[in-house]
Amino acid sequence: MAQSVSRKITAARWLQPRSGKAYNDTDLYFVTGSSTSTSTARLSLWTTPNPDFTQQSIEPTRDFATPVGCVSHEGDVTSIAVALSAPVLATGSSYGQVSVYSIDSDSTQPLVLSESITAHRYANNEPAVCTGVSVQPAPGVDAEIASCGEDGHIAFAPMSRLGALQRYDIDSTVITGICWTTPQQVAVSTRAGQIKMVDRRQPNEIAAAFVGLGNNVAFECVNVHPSQPYRIATGTDNGSVMVWDVRNSKKPQIDAFGVHGANVWSIQFHPGNCDKVVSCSDDATVAVTDWTNGAGAHSVRVLSNHLNVLSINCFDFCPFTKTSLLVGGSDSGNILLNSRSSCDFSL
Amino acid sequence: MRLTADQPSVPSTAQPATVEAAHLEPGLFAPGDSKAWSSQNRTILAVPHPVLAKLALAVQGKLPREQLNSPSPPVSDEKCVQVWGQPSTLSNRQTFISETHASFTALQLAMKANKMDTDGVLRISGQYRAALLKQVEKEKDNGQYEVFGQMHAVWHLLEILYLTTVKDGLNSCVVAHMLEWLNTNFSPSSLEDSVVVAGRQAKEIAVDKSLWPLIARLAVRGHLTVLANILQGVAKELGEDVSRLARSVAKVARSMPVLSNGEEKGGFLGRWRKWTMSVKDVGKEIAQALVDQPGNAALEGLQVAISIIAGKDEAIAGASQSWQDALGAMLLYQEPTAQADRLPELTDAAAEQFEISDFRPLDNALLVLLKQDLPTFLPLCDQIDSWLSAHAADLLTHLGIIDTFRHMLVVDPRPHYLVALAEQYMENEGMWQVVLDYLGAAGEHEVMQEVIMRVPLSSDRVAQKVLEICEKHRLETALNRILRQLGRQRWRRGRRGAAIADFARAGDNLSITAICEELWSEYMASGVLSYGSTIDGVAGLAHPRVQFLARYRDFHAMYAKGEMKQAGVVLLDILVGELAPKSVVADLLVDAIPLLEGDVLVFGQDATLELMR
Repeated sequence: MAQSVSRKITAARWLQPRSGKAYNDTDLYFVTGSSTSTSTARLSLWTTPNPDFTQQSIEPTRDFATPVGCVSHEGDVTSIAVALSAPVLATGSSYGQVSVYSIDSDSTQPLVLSESITAHRYANNEPAVCTGVSVQPAPGVDAEIASCGEDGHIAFAPMSRLGALQRYDIDSTVITGICWTTPQQVAVSTRAGQIKMVDRRQPNEIAAAFVGLGNNVAFECVNVHPSQPYRIATGTDNGSVMVWDVRNSKKPQIDAFGVHGANVWSIQFHPGNCDKVVSCSDDATVAVTDWTNGAGAHSVRVLSNHLNVLSINCFDFCPFTKTSLLVGGSDSGNILLNSRSSCDFSL
Repeated sequence: MRLTADQPSVPSTAQPATVEAAHLEPGLFAPGDSKAWSSQNRTILAVPHPVLAKLALAVQGKLPREQLNSPSPPVSDEKCVQVWGQPSTLSNRQTFISETHASFTALQLAMKANKMDTDGVLRISGQYRAALLKQVEKEKDNGQYEVFGQMHAVWHLLEILYLTTVKDGLNSCVVAHMLEWLNTNFSPSSLEDSVVVAGRQAKEIAVDKSLWPLIARLAVRGHLTVLANILQGVAKELGEDVSRLARSVAKVARSMPVLSNGEEKGGFLGRWRKWTMSVKDVGKEIAQALVDQPGNAALEGLQVAISIIAGKDEAIAGASQSWQDALGAMLLYQEPTAQADRLPELTDAAAEQFEISDFRPLDNALLVLLKQDLPTFLPLCDQIDSWLSAHAADLLTHLGIIDTFRHMLVVDPRPHYLVALAEQYMENEGMWQVVLDYLGAAGEHEVMQEVIMRVPLSSDRVAQKVLEICEKHRLETALNRILRQLGRQRWRRGRRGAAIADFARAGDNLSITAICEELWSEYMASGVLSYGSTIDGVAGLAHPRVQFLARYRDFHAMYAKGEMKQAGVVLLDILVGELAPKSVVADLLVDAIPLLEGDVLVFGQDATLELMR
C-alpha cells in the first residue's frame, strides 16, 4: 500500500514497542525522515494499527498511517537509528550532522532535539554528508552511535554526550553504510566496493577488509545477520545483493545474486526468517531473496506498487510483530507498507 | 547570510506591476553607506536561471572588469550561493503529480513494449480520473477546485468517446455513459434541491414554489425515480384531479424503459414506442385539465415535466440550465439508443440554444471534443491546465487518433505539450526525476541534458541517481560533465581517490594525471608516502600514473619491510614498463642505489644492464 505524504522519504524506522518486551501495543509507531528537495526536511512520527490485533485489513485506498507529530531537521535525513533501551533515536544529516532526539508519543511535541554535532567534514572544512548512523547493540549502557560519511570517516559518540565524538579516517572514497556487527565492531561499505571491519577498541586500524567480486562495483549499503555477526549482506550499485561469510578473513565466502535493475539502497536480513534478505532499490521495488541455496538456486520475490515508480530509498521491518510488517519510503513522496501474515511474500 | 524578498513601493504614475526585490541579510554594508561597499573589494554576481524565474546570487572577491562583463562570469564556489525565486505553485499538487506520473510512466512502458490493450489503457485512464477526483476533494477549500473539476469533466468525456465506446463496440449505445458523465461532473445545485424536500411534510412541499422547477430539473437530468417518489409523496395534497395526473406522471416516469447490456435494439425500441404512447396519453390528459383549470401551478408543472419526458425540444430547452443538460435530455428522451456518431449533431442542437459568448474554456473544449475537432481541442485543454493538454495529447497519440489529424497540425502536439508540462514542473527542483521522465517520453534529449546538469548534487546518493538517469537515457554530454563536476568537487574537498574514480569514468585522463602529480609532489616534499589509502580504491585503473603510484607504493612497502629482492623486482618493473613519468626516473634510479649496494644480491646481470640503460 502507498500513502502519499508529498515529500521524498529518505529514512524510515520502527520504534520500540511502548509496552516493552511483553508486546501488547494495539498501535505501532514508526519514524520517517524526508529530504529538503521539495520543502524543509522533517523527522515525522507516525502510528499505524498493529496487524497482530487488527481483525480487518486496511483498505488500499485509505491512509494506513496517522501522523502524530513532526520536527524540522537540519538537512536531509539520511539515516535513522533507534536506541534499544531508551526512547531516543539518532539521525544522520546531509549537512554532516549527527543528532539525537528524544521520543514521547503522548506529548504534543513527540520528537524533541536533544543534541546535535557536525560529525563529518572534508579537509577544506566543508560539511560532508553523513551517510549512515547505527546504534551500538548494547542495552543497559550508554550506547554509542557510529556514523559514516562522504568524507571517508567514521565517528563514534555516546548517545548522551555527542560532544565526546571521535573521528577516524578509514577510506579515501565515500563510505555508504555502517552497522555494528558486535558491540565492539562495526562494518562499513564503501564506494570502492569494499567492506571494512573496524574494532572500536582500535579504531585507527582496519581490522579486516574485503573486496567484492568483479571490478568497478560499488557497495551502497551493508547490514549484519541478527544472530551471526560473521554473516553480512551488501547491496551494490548494479542491483546485486551479496551475502558474505567473513569467518575466514583471507578467503571470505561470497554469494552474489542479481536481484534489482538499479542501485540497492538498503538491505536487511528478514527478522522473522533470516534465510531471506530484503532489499530496496532505485528501480522502485523491494525484493526478498532466499540466499541459503546459493547463487545458482536462489529465489527472488519482487514487491512493487503501481502508484510508486521512483526510487524506494529506505525500508524497515518491524521485528516485534508476528505479522511480517514492512514500512518504506520513496522519491515518489510515498510511505509504503506491506503486511503479510507469514514471511513468505507473494507477488 | 540569507536572501529575503519584499515588495518595494511602486511609483504612483507607473502601471501596477509585480516587482520584487531581493535583500541579503545581514546586509553587505549599512544602509546609505555605499562607500563601505566600495572599500570592501568584493563583487556581487547575479546569474538568471535559463528557464525558471530564479536568480542565483553570490558575493566574492573583486573580479577583473573584463570577467564581470562576460556572459557567464565565474562564481567562486567557495562562497555561499543564494538562489531566489518565485515560490512553487505546485506544492498542493504533489500527490496528484506523483500518482499521475506513476500512471503515465506505466502507460509509456506498456505502449513501448506493445503490451497494452484497450482494457489496459482504460485502466490507466481510470487511474488518472481517480487522481483528479481525489484532488478535487482535496482542493475544496483552495482556488484550484474548479480547475480540477474541469479537468475531470474533460478527461471523463475523452475516456467515454475514445476508450469506453471502443471497448463496448462502435455500435454500442453511449446514452448511459453520457448521463453518468453529466451527473458526475455537472451536478445541479443539489443543496437547493435537497432543501426543497428534505425533512418536510408533503403539505409544505406541495405549496413550495421551488417544487415544480425541481421536478423539471429532475426530469431533464433523468432522475425519474426521485421525480416519481416526490410526485407520489405530494400527490394527495394537490387536489383530486391533479393528484391522479401526478400519479400518472409518476407511473410513466418509473416505467421508462432502459436499454440493458446485450439487449437487441429492435426489442428495446418496441418497448420504447409503447411507453412513448403512454407518455403522450398522459400529456393529453394534462393539457385537457389545464384547459379546465388554466393557471394551475401544479398542472403547469406537470405539463412541463411530461413534455420533457416526451422529448419535446421547447420543454427541454426551457428547463435546461446548460447545453450539457439539453444534450443529456435529448439523448435520454429523443434518442435512447444513440451511438457516438450522433453526438456531433446533437451537440450542435443543444449548444445553439445558449449564448456562445457565455461559454467558458471548459464548454468550448467539451464542445469541440464532442465534435471530434481534436486540433482545436488540445489548445483549449491547455487553457484549462497544462496537465490536461499533455496527457490528452499523449493518450490520443498512443491510440492513433492524432494520426488522422496530423495534416492539420503545425507541430506534433504530444512532445509539444509534454515539454510544456515538464517546464512547469521544473519550478520545483525536487521534481527533477518527474521532469526528466516527461522530457524523456517527449524525446527531448537536448533539454534533458540541460535540466539534468542543473540538478543540485547535494549528496553522493543524489549524484548516483542522476548518473543512472544519464546512462539510462544515453545523455553522454551530461554524464561526462557531471562526472567532471563531481571530480572537481571531490578534488577540492581533498577526496582525491574518489575524484580519480569520477575522472576515470568521464575519461578525463588529464585531471587524473594532475592529481597523481599532486600526490607525488607531496611525497617528494615531505618524504612520507601517505597517498596509499588515496589510491587504494582506484589502484586497478588502467591509467599509467595511477599504476605508477600503486606500484611505487608496493615498492615502498616492501623496502620498508626489508623485502629487498621483491622491492627490486617491483622497481625494475616500473622502470622497464615505463610506468614512471620521465621526470621521476632519476629519483627512481636513486631509489635503486641502496638495492645495488646492499649485501643481498637484488639485481642480476640482465637487470643491472636494464637499470643502466
